[in-house]
Amino acid sequence: MEFLNPTALYGILALPLLLIPYLIRRKPQRIIFSSLLLLTEYDSSARRRPWGRLRLPPAFFLQLLLLTLLILALAEPVLSVRPTHIAIVLDNSASMQTLEDGKTRFALAQESARSLVADLGVNGRVELYRTVPRLEKIHGTPFSPSEAAGAIGALEPDDLGDHAIDYDQVLNEMMREQKYERVYLITDHPVSGQGEKIRALSVGSPQANIALLAFQVRRASLANAQLEATVELGNFSAKEEKIKVLLRGSGTLLQSRELVIGAGKTAEAGFSGFAAHPYYEAEIDVRDALPLDNRAFAVAPMAANLRILAISPRPQALASLGAIPGVKLDLISPADYENAERGGYGLEIFHFATPASLPQTPALFVLPPDANDWVDLGRPIARTVVSGWRDPHPLTRYVNFSLFRPIYARPLKPQASGDVIIESPQGPLVFAIERRGARHLVLGFDPFPYLGRGNLPMSIFTLNFLDWFFESGSRRGTASGEPLALGVAGQGGLLTTPRGEKITLEPGANNYAETFRQGIYQLRRSGENQIFAVNLQNANESDLRAPGPIAMKSATLSGGGAAALFSYWPYLLLAALLLLIIEWFVFPRMALLRARVRSSRVA
Amino acid sequence: MLPEPFTPAFLTQLETLRLRTRKEFLGSHPGSYSSPRRGTSLEFADYRRYSPGDDLRYLDWGIYARSDRLYIKLFREEVDLFAYVFIDASASMLFPSRAEKFLPATHVALALAYVVLANHDHVKFHLLQDLPPRVASPFYRGRRRMAECVEFAASAKPAGQLDLAPALGEHLKRLRRPGKAILISDFLMPAPSYQQGLNLLRGFNLDIAAIQVLSRQEVDPPFPNGSLALIDSESQAEFQYRWDTGARQSYRTRLAHHNSEIRSFCHQSGIHYSLYVTDRDLKDFVFATLPAIGLFK
Repeated sequence: MEFLNPTALYGILALPLLLIPYLIRRKPQRIIFSSLLLLTEYDSSARRRPWGRLRLPPAFFLQLLLLTLLILALAEPVLSVRPTHIAIVLDNSASMQTLEDGKTRFALAQESARSLVADLGVNGRVELYRTVPRLEKIHGTPFSPSEAAGAIGALEPDDLGDHAIDYDQVLNEMMREQKYERVYLITDHPVSGQGEKIRALSVGSPQANIALLAFQVRRASLANAQLEATVELGNFSAKEEKIKVLLRGSGTLLQSRELVIGAGKTAEAGFSGFAAHPYYEAEIDVRDALPLDNRAFAVAPMAANLRILAISPRPQALASLGAIPGVKLDLISPADYENAERGGYGLEIFHFATPASLPQTPALFVLPPDANDWVDLGRPIARTVVSGWRDPHPLTRYVNFSLFRPIYARPLKPQASGDVIIESPQGPLVFAIERRGARHLVLGFDPFPYLGRGNLPMSIFTLNFLDWFFESGSRRGTASGEPLALGVAGQGGLLTTPRGEKITLEPGANNYAETFRQGIYQLRRSGENQIFAVNLQNANESDLRAPGPIAMKSATLSGGGAAALFSYWPYLLLAALLLLIIEWFVFPRMALLRARVRSSRVA
Repeated sequence: MLPEPFTPAFLTQLETLRLRTRKEFLGSHPGSYSSPRRGTSLEFADYRRYSPGDDLRYLDWGIYARSDRLYIKLFREEVDLFAYVFIDASASMLFPSRAEKFLPATHVALALAYVVLANHDHVKFHLLQDLPPRVASPFYRGRRRMAECVEFAASAKPAGQLDLAPALGEHLKRLRRPGKAILISDFLMPAPSYQQGLNLLRGFNLDIAAIQVLSRQEVDPPFPNGSLALIDSESQAEFQYRWDTGARQSYRTRLAHHNSEIRSFCHQSGIHYSLYVTDRDLKDFVFATLPAIGLFK
């Protein structure tokens, strides 16, 4: 026998409370009577006892039985028929690494899964699923129970956040298609409304947690080589916490800060003036439920120079950019773009040119030809006047737009979603797009050549967008699960994961998708060493106070294999009702019956 | 001032009654009750042979004519009656209140006393209590003494416990003339106790009538259901009790059984017995119930 709602069984602990009304008696009312001669003979056993004896009438036992039946009915008992083909879906998201009395939630989930497998017969078949990076089967063919136990033990949680999965629908479909007799979901989310065939087991309980939500190391600006680091902390608890944040560079402690975070609030800590290291690690000195989010990693900002790949049919205009300190320029013609080695550039400038698709690196498009998907150009403007601009914005900082007069301009007609930064009465002149973390900027005028003091508003604008692109190059690290952009490579490389695993990359591989672990990934390619930082960066996983519930609304309607459970709580409810009727009808008459019996005995 | 039930009409009705005795007593004055002695009443008693010196007025000439023998007719002597009214004056007679039990009991006693007084017989009240001193009234005779009877009854203060036989014994020690004994009590006492008391009265050659007086609250106790601490009005003993429908039913059964035991004992002992529940009309009790048990002629 199993219980679909075993929590209700805790109600049995409250059954002794039923004794209280029988134990607590009011002080008896004192009444003077002429003679107790005829009364003392009636019940001599209770004489002269201040509280009398504990009387447990038959009604008490009826009530006890009634409550027990009701509690059992609430627990939804089912008579289980031992299934032979089951699926176990193990939640392996980051929050499953939360510690519960010294064990992780994932270890508790593994124990539950092993006990489920142990209940199967020898001929049982088990299929294991995990929830992240996507809900997928772990092994192609079903496991035998013994194999499944081994496979469950070999599983580990990933440093990934949960996906929004409609478990109700997905598990029902899975059961229908795969003909499972029962599907178990083992997760740390509370589950409501589970059915007979799709069962959910919740592990863990709500806990307080402190998390490192973001960590970023960057140069102060394009012209300023000083390093700055920002750490964002979240307090997912009900009380204010004083936290010490440590900054390490390549394992060496560089600086530390202490800050106080209010309950349920976030706070930011800043570091500056530290030495350059290949990578950095921020750590909070706290012992909480989820150690995973107590650390975060960041790589050193890009080199002092902003490497620009300029693609233009008129390279002489762009060459003037080389005069800007910190800018390193490579010029190619549009025809050479597809075959060019594009790795290591912080910015690609398409001057009167456009690529076949949006590049994954930051890119500036100056008056792009009409053959592109994200913007069209209008008719040339005879006398360009700026009528509006975003303020404050890094691109419009310090620019005097009354003097901003592009010689040749065409209004932009955006075909993709983005932000208009500067506009004229005829239409937008500057349009910003952000795709997959890469910034793209489209200009409806040509800011080149860079004339310095010769055209101060345009020069300031040019420096602004170079700084803007430079800043984007040193943005936050990659979130776990996001692919690492490795750049275009003609030959393969060797990637070392945070656990020290060496992965040989195929020639031409320009990204690596299996970033399931938080930490530092090192790519060795063509004699160069490239470092990537991957962090959890998922506040939902760090907030352990109230995980989102999973509702299994249509679980009982699922089709599939033969019925595995026989639910008999309605019969218990019926029995309880019968008892209630018995008590209601019979018990009041029992007193009269007893009196009659006693009278006849006296007579 | 007579109490409320004793209206002139009621008194007039009482005057029509006479106590009935099943024994013959030696009275002190001529009256209307038979005496074992021969006297001059109109009621023929026997014959005896004539002896010289007998009053010739009582010769039965008819027998002489038929048998040629002289016989003298003998007649009963009719004397007055001595009635003793024993009233239970224990604390239980105050339950639920004096007005609801003891006063009705005294009204019954006074009604019977008035019947006696109206016939120019003697009546005396005895208050039965364990507490000394023994309280008894003098003999009253004549209806004019009714006010004194009322005064005596009104002055009675029920209190304490009652053991019937010793209390009666104290009063009977000073009893010189046999007569009619009327015992008015609630008889809420163990059977041996009232049986000893009544036997004691029988031992003094008294013609006995027992009137049991109970209040309605004693017949049907109005206790609320639940746990009760009942206190005996006489002994002050406390008794924890769970009162419910069953207990109420059981009490009624036991009371009925107790009363039937008293009735049975009285019947076997030649004692008039009647139960008077105090919420009943006194006139109805006196003119319907008491004649029915043979207390009145």
